[in-house]
Amino acid sequence: MAVLTTSGLTMRFGSQLALDAVSVDVPFGVTGLVGANGAGKTTLMSIALGLRVPTAGTVTVLGFDPGHHARKLRAQVGYVSERNVLPEDMAASDFVKHLAEVRGMPRQEAKGRASDALWLVGLGEERFRPLGTMSTGQRQRVKLAQAVAADPSLVLLDEPTDGLDPVQCDEMLSLIRQISEEFGIDVLLSSHRLEEVERICDNIVALDAGRLVAHGRLDALVGNTATVTVELVEVDDRPGAVDAVERYLRSVGLEVNRDLARLRVGGTDPHASLDAIRDAVASADARVRRISTDRTTLEDLFTRASS
Amino acid sequence: MTAPAEIFDRGYRRYEGERTGVWQAMRSVLWHTIRSVLGIGRKGRHKVFPALVALVAFLPSIAFLAFAVLIGDMLSEELRPPYWELFGLPILVVVLFATLVAPEALVRDRRDGMFRLYLSTPLTKPTYLLAKFAAVMAVMAIVVAGPVLLLLVGYTVQNLGPDGFGAWIGVSGRILLSSVLIVGFMAALSLGASSLTDRRAIASVGVLGAVVGVSIVVGICVDAIGLRHELRVLDPLGAPVEMAARIFGEVGPAGESRGSAATPTWLVFTGVAAWTTVWLSVLVTRYRRLTAV
Repeated sequence: MAVLTTSGLTMRFGSQLALDAVSVDVPFGVTGLVGANGAGKTTLMSIALGLRVPTAGTVTVLGFDPGHHARKLRAQVGYVSERNVLPEDMAASDFVKHLAEVRGMPRQEAKGRASDALWLVGLGEERFRPLGTMSTGQRQRVKLAQAVAADPSLVLLDEPTDGLDPVQCDEMLSLIRQISEEFGIDVLLSSHRLEEVERICDNIVALDAGRLVAHGRLDALVGNTATVTVELVEVDDRPGAVDAVERYLRSVGLEVNRDLARLRVGGTDPHASLDAIRDAVASADARVRRISTDRTTLEDLFTRASS
Repeated sequence: MTAPAEIFDRGYRRYEGERTGVWQAMRSVLWHTIRSVLGIGRKGRHKVFPALVALVAFLPSIAFLAFAVLIGDMLSEELRPPYWELFGLPILVVVLFATLVAPEALVRDRRDGMFRLYLSTPLTKPTYLLAKFAAVMAVMAIVVAGPVLLLLVGYTVQNLGPDGFGAWIGVSGRILLSSVLIVGFMAALSLGASSLTDRRAIASVGVLGAVVGVSIVVGICVDAIGLRHELRVLDPLGAPVEMAARIFGEVGPAGESRGSAATPTWLVFTGVAAWTTVWLSVLVTRYRRLTAV
């Protein structure tokens, strides 16, 4: 069973196509919803919350159809909005407690859980401070606290690291990971910062101009490739060493692309390529400057899929 | 001997208990709005205006009660205002209160992101608006029903109240009915006008314009241009008070003094109902078009 399933999901605003027949299964865990601005991320989230009715196609979230069971569904979903505006003169604990109550927590339970959620995000000591006196990082944490206080099964986070400095960003990402790992809350994280998504997500859904361009487990989509790059040093006392290495590698059936003393060695098994490179370098008595296994990043994947 | 210290740090944990429904969510929004509008749990400056307006609204009742206490039985019936007049005396204060209450209740949510957060919860636009409407009615009831009820209770304590339990219940019922209708009308008007803008100051001016401005236009149409006096049923300042007078059975001198003696009671109620419907339609239409996420 998936957290979110769409089939042919299409959303049209007049002549503009926001989502173009998107069919995807979002599994449990932390899922990154990536894409440039206008890719359709927020539209997908609003449909998932039952706030928009799709033009065509179906969507199921936590087993509910948002169009027909929006109330039941939203009682189990926490949401962090992209906008960084909050009631300025409201204490953090009052804010979180109020929203926990609205999400279905009994009053006394909401009070205790608001406090627990604020401790969880590291604002236990600050919980009685008005939101208007808090820093951007603290406000983002309060937003996360309100999303988890009512014990949701799924949390939708819309650009949760927007406006944060690198340290705050790290802390926020760790918190998101912790919420998923420790408490089993599934997370759908919308972001245009691909490196963040790559750091904490188990799965990704990549959208481009409303089209689904990639989806699946992150470790299957990105990571080490079978290509190895070896950079040799051309020295006067070993003329032809680079040529000898190239000849050797080709002779054992590997594909080699050469750029001066830099060889990109393609194959099916990076370990076999590395062994062959070791042997080639030894037999040619060549000198190695650098050797590395190529890696596909989410950015590479997204660029390739979009183009 | 002291007991050994224990730390009860429950920490964040999953919740296994019952979840409350949408009524609890509405109740929470209602109570949260009332607190916010009255400045409860906020800085002192947020409490000053509501407290001041409420005090001014209660002044006529307090003055009449002071007379009753000082003079007692000697206070003749002619010197005692009919209860419905107490709806009219502080009407401008009620309008002033409306210019504060509705923008605070509605516009603030859109500006500080609460509206979109609410719609990510089991609340829907209709249930959200219903909670807001009830909250605004509850707050406005303080200055609309409060002074009249205070006078009724004060007169009753001074033995100047209605004769007999049946009459007392009758007067109470009329006060409550009048209050509900006036407060409903003012809540619809002020929320409708406030829904049109995202700026609180402009919303306040809009509410003021929708009441005082329209009242002036109706006055000009009837008094200066000489259009039919029945048009006064569209006066947002006069019609609600006239409606209260009719509920108390006053159609004679009071009606004449308002220049609408010949106006049938059903037309007075229709005028108020028409404005209420118009502003509720504005509110609902505006919010139907608003997108949360």
